[in-house]
Amino acid sequence: MNTTVTASTGNSPSTRRPFRFGRWFRATGWRHIVGVIMVIFSVFPLLYVLSAALNPRGTLTGSNHLFAEIGFEAFGRILSDPTNPFGAWFVNTLLVASITAVATVFLGALAAYSFSRMRFTGRRVGLMTIVLVQMFPQLLAVVAIFLLMSTISDWFPAIGLNTHIGLIMVYMGGALGVNTYLMYGFFNTIPRDIDEAAKIDGAGHARIFFTIILRLVAPILAVVGLLSFISTTNEFVVASILLIDPEKQTLAVGLYKLVSNPNYADWSAFSAGAIMAALPVMALFLFLQKYIVGGLTAGAVK
Amino acid sequence: MKVKSMGFNPRSMLMAGALATTAVLALAGCAGGAGDASGDGSSALTVWVDAERVDALKAAAAAYENKTGVAVKLVSKDTAKIKDDFLQQVPTGKGPDITMGAHDWLGELVTNGVVAPIELADKQDDFLEVAYAAATYDGKQYMLPYAVENLALLRNADLVPEAATSFDDMIAKGTAAGVTHPFLVQQGPESDPYHLYPFQTSFGAPVFGGDENGYDATDLQIGNEGGLAYAQWLSAQGKNGTGVLNTEITGDIASQAFLSGDAAFWLTGPWNVTAAQDAGINLAVDLITSPGVEAAQPFAGVKGFFVSEQSKNKVAANDFLVNYLGTEDVQTALYASGNVLPALKASAEAASSDPIVAGFAAVGAEAVPMPAIPEMGAVWQFWGIAEAAIINGEDPTAIWRKLAADVQGAIG
Amino acid sequence: MSTPRDEAIIKQSRRSQSAARIAEAASVGLRMLLIKIALLGIVDAIAVYALLVLFLDEQWLVAALVAIVTIVVNWIYFSRRHLPAKYLTPGVIFLVVFQIFVVGYTAYIGFTNYGTGHNSDKSQAVDALMSSALERVPDSPTYGVTVVENIAGLGLLVTDPEGDVSVGGTDAPLERVKSAEMEAGKAVAVDGYTSLSFADVLARQGEIAALRVPFSDDPNDGALRTPDGSSAYVYTSTLIYDEQADTMTDAQTGTVYQDNGTGAFTTEDGDALLPGWRINVGLDNFARAFSEDSIRNPLINVTIWTIVFAFLSVATTFFLGLFLALVFNDLRMKGRKFYRIAMILPYAFPAFLSALVWAGLLSESFGFINQVLLGGAEIPWLTDPTLAKASILFVNLWLGFPYMFLVCTGALQSIPGDIVEAATVDGAKPWAIFRLIKLPLLLVTLAPILISSFAFNFNNFNLIYMLTGGGPRDPLASVNVGSTDILISMVYKVAFTGQLRDYGLASAFTIIIFVIVATISIVSFKKTKALEELN
Repeated sequence: MNTTVTASTGNSPSTRRPFRFGRWFRATGWRHIVGVIMVIFSVFPLLYVLSAALNPRGTLTGSNHLFAEIGFEAFGRILSDPTNPFGAWFVNTLLVASITAVATVFLGALAAYSFSRMRFTGRRVGLMTIVLVQMFPQLLAVVAIFLLMSTISDWFPAIGLNTHIGLIMVYMGGALGVNTYLMYGFFNTIPRDIDEAAKIDGAGHARIFFTIILRLVAPILAVVGLLSFISTTNEFVVASILLIDPEKQTLAVGLYKLVSNPNYADWSAFSAGAIMAALPVMALFLFLQKYIVGGLTAGAVK
Repeated sequence: MKVKSMGFNPRSMLMAGALATTAVLALAGCAGGAGDASGDGSSALTVWVDAERVDALKAAAAAYENKTGVAVKLVSKDTAKIKDDFLQQVPTGKGPDITMGAHDWLGELVTNGVVAPIELADKQDDFLEVAYAAATYDGKQYMLPYAVENLALLRNADLVPEAATSFDDMIAKGTAAGVTHPFLVQQGPESDPYHLYPFQTSFGAPVFGGDENGYDATDLQIGNEGGLAYAQWLSAQGKNGTGVLNTEITGDIASQAFLSGDAAFWLTGPWNVTAAQDAGINLAVDLITSPGVEAAQPFAGVKGFFVSEQSKNKVAANDFLVNYLGTEDVQTALYASGNVLPALKASAEAASSDPIVAGFAAVGAEAVPMPAIPEMGAVWQFWGIAEAAIINGEDPTAIWRKLAADVQGAIG
Repeated sequence: MSTPRDEAIIKQSRRSQSAARIAEAASVGLRMLLIKIALLGIVDAIAVYALLVLFLDEQWLVAALVAIVTIVVNWIYFSRRHLPAKYLTPGVIFLVVFQIFVVGYTAYIGFTNYGTGHNSDKSQAVDALMSSALERVPDSPTYGVTVVENIAGLGLLVTDPEGDVSVGGTDAPLERVKSAEMEAGKAVAVDGYTSLSFADVLARQGEIAALRVPFSDDPNDGALRTPDGSSAYVYTSTLIYDEQADTMTDAQTGTVYQDNGTGAFTTEDGDALLPGWRINVGLDNFARAFSEDSIRNPLINVTIWTIVFAFLSVATTFFLGLFLALVFNDLRMKGRKFYRIAMILPYAFPAFLSALVWAGLLSESFGFINQVLLGGAEIPWLTDPTLAKASILFVNLWLGFPYMFLVCTGALQSIPGDIVEAATVDGAKPWAIFRLIKLPLLLVTLAPILISSFAFNFNNFNLIYMLTGGGPRDPLASVNVGSTDILISMVYKVAFTGQLRDYGLASAFTIIIFVIVATISIVSFKKTKALEELN
């Protein structure tokens, strides 16, 4: 019963007539009204993007006549242009974002576990540091990252500039950060009795972590993985200085080039590309939803 | 346990993650040995190119490789980032040998020591005057000009069959055509001084004075009498006047209106020509009508190529630029695939058989290079906001005087 | 009431159970050990390879670092102690290399004069000065050349426009030659020299680009240089570099420029030759950051707005996200999947694309909101100072609520269902359950998220830049700062005006901003007792 007061103040007077309907409305019906409002709010601006993608000569914001023309030329254009290897960008993005997401979840969960379950000197400082480091304004970060990666390139070209591994490594630098905190908070809500019981049963720390705790925190792992996947997919600044060859670039880097010169911006193709780029994110979210909200709670396992 | 039934096994997922991570690193370590091929790259030129120009240069690059054995690697770059990346990467030795760019970057590139001079020698007279002037900074040539871009007046010839003779005539003709917008020019919340510049010059108020060696930052002209007259005119065309100028008209809105036949005249650049033709507009290109006493001179933007000061392939780079990209065949071919006015006279003439290109070229004959001196930054900072304020009804004289004073103050 | 036999059986079974448990634990332990060894083996193999490469390159310092880190890693994982380190090391290594280094380097820039005119090191600056100081001798012709070589080194075989041929090298001024092999009016070979093909020229470009052949015995006549390997021109240099004295002298005026420690060759009057180079300037940038006029006047307003903006952004997105998470966390509700997917969409699209769309929607005369929703009203959403601030917050709500929605949905799962059930059975009202049970529990998990979200918005340059560019600006103010500018976008405008990029100043500002944000964050951490459990 998750009814909140904001909800029960009512948008119901007109709809309360039949008794069963009223009950249904109080329980879940009003949630649909909130849902519909939020769908309109969320999706409406994106209709402009869809309209621009379907209109072969469309501008993004030039007109309020949405869907004046419908055609799929922009999709064809972006998919078939040899200088814009959309397929390669797509695969690269999936690869980089998936590996980064999995690695981020893994490294973050390890750290969160130790922060949550162990007591050691430097723990407090460590927790503060990982969140403070990410607060440093990133205005000049590219200069430093380029310098670092170009130096690495001199010795180890395979993990330096213009490589996906190099890019993933830079992203993994952010694995310990606010996401770790999110996991840390979640770990803290798992009762320690569970660890203790397992310990009495003779399980080692690694076993407790991998076989017991991780299952209990699955929702937050899924959330962190999704957040990491989305932010990697849309990351542009670092990817654009590290990835040089068009066929190595990610969607964000490749697509931005289509519109970076305002005079020659191809908004139709860009919008078409952005829509296709959003598909993996949606698919992943659909897939992960059952882990995020499958009714799997600490209470349920006890 | 209930969890089992979820079919989710974080442990295996995480182990996979661990293995993936290490495998990635191991792979990296092993592949490292094979990656030394880049070496000093004595016979490959790396050229950064605007993303939208890569296609036009592909054939030329391949032909040069066939001719000389020097591979030309075109790297398509995000136009908005190309200059900053060049400035940051040249000193590390990782930058390209050659980059495409705009002539107004020159002040910054030269001050930072990242470009090397080139020698056009006798070929300099083969280039359009404005292109050659734009390639010169502080008396030296740094850029191989490739294309010249300037504004011109597009006219929907179905709505208005004849060219306008003056600014007022243009508005009258456009109004007579009965469309929503007699005349369109792209604006924004901070106006758009680049697009309004031809009108400003027509009142005899360039930004800087100067001579054949370029602009002179100590000779600020913007605040002269002509400038004040221009400010009055702006005010008269703005919110409290005829309403011809409107800061709400963004590029998108202007383009959409003209393409759907709701506008008679459109002051814009060659980049919008293809879209207008595709939309089936019967297009004519006219000289920019002058509201003032002199001819309306737009800024010319010259696109070209720079050689990196840190390039290890300077001989090849110079040969590629001067002896190859600067020749008539290549410039004509680039025009054919890129549709911009070539910077080489002979190619420009050939291209001018196309009435649209000829129209832009005719306006371009009046155009002045956009100043490349660093002091221009101080101008941009205050210019648009002042014009927007005047268009939106503030006191033209006071605002314009303040603009001149602020710019002077910032230049120091 | 069990018999001794029963007890024995139970004991027996318990014993065997625990034996099985120990065996299982041992086998898991063994498997873990094998995995551990395999992983460490890979890490060590890579480290050895890396050391090899670094030794060959004589990078002793880096090699030492790699060696130390490898040893520490092995020690951590093989020792029975250092349990926390086992869990933290992988993440910390990446954190140190890719975040702390970046922060450190950025901070270091704050103590240099890095920026326009001081973009590289001294030797590059000297190279650049010398190469742009070369001036072609007025009215001198183009010479056709062939690059040649003899024992003395590279030289040029030169054909002048009259067809006369001469040859010379770095230390040998041009001398006429009689019998050269000609091809299309240009000498291509001469006795005593080997001619270089174009491919040879390319292979030795560095040398050829540096090759200067004196035109005559008189150095004032200049030297021939070939930029492209096939033609040459006579150049004199307008600058003379004296490496010993470390000075540049203007060849025409005789003005001497000295390296006086300001990062450029400078005259006694303070005229500097640019490009200069990067040097450490100590605290100069910080001094300028505090004395910069263009920052001082708007500083107070901008700081207030930055804090208000960051705070309200977090508050609005969090409460909307939390509300939605609660609303759609009801298992009885149908179609939750559909609603959730739709609400994730704003987060799945590139933010700059959305910001552009919103800017269009909010346009005063042409936007959808005024034109369609409000029937042609002319509300200056983005051009009125107050409305622009509201619009920014609104668009940021749109951009940011999906994140909070996701995070809250995840955090909600940590609330044990039985507590809520028990409270419901006890007759607690939903609002009370939320306020007294759920919210406090959620905040344990979410307080750090809120604080770091505050820090993120404090530095949310992109949103401001894309939506309003900091505007609207007051046309009567002489500073380039608008009413929606936050600290970081103001810094951007001050440090990067037009063509002038002052990275040093920008970096000094980022350090100052970081100190502000970090202080606020640490105080909030203390206040919210987010770290309560730490002790």
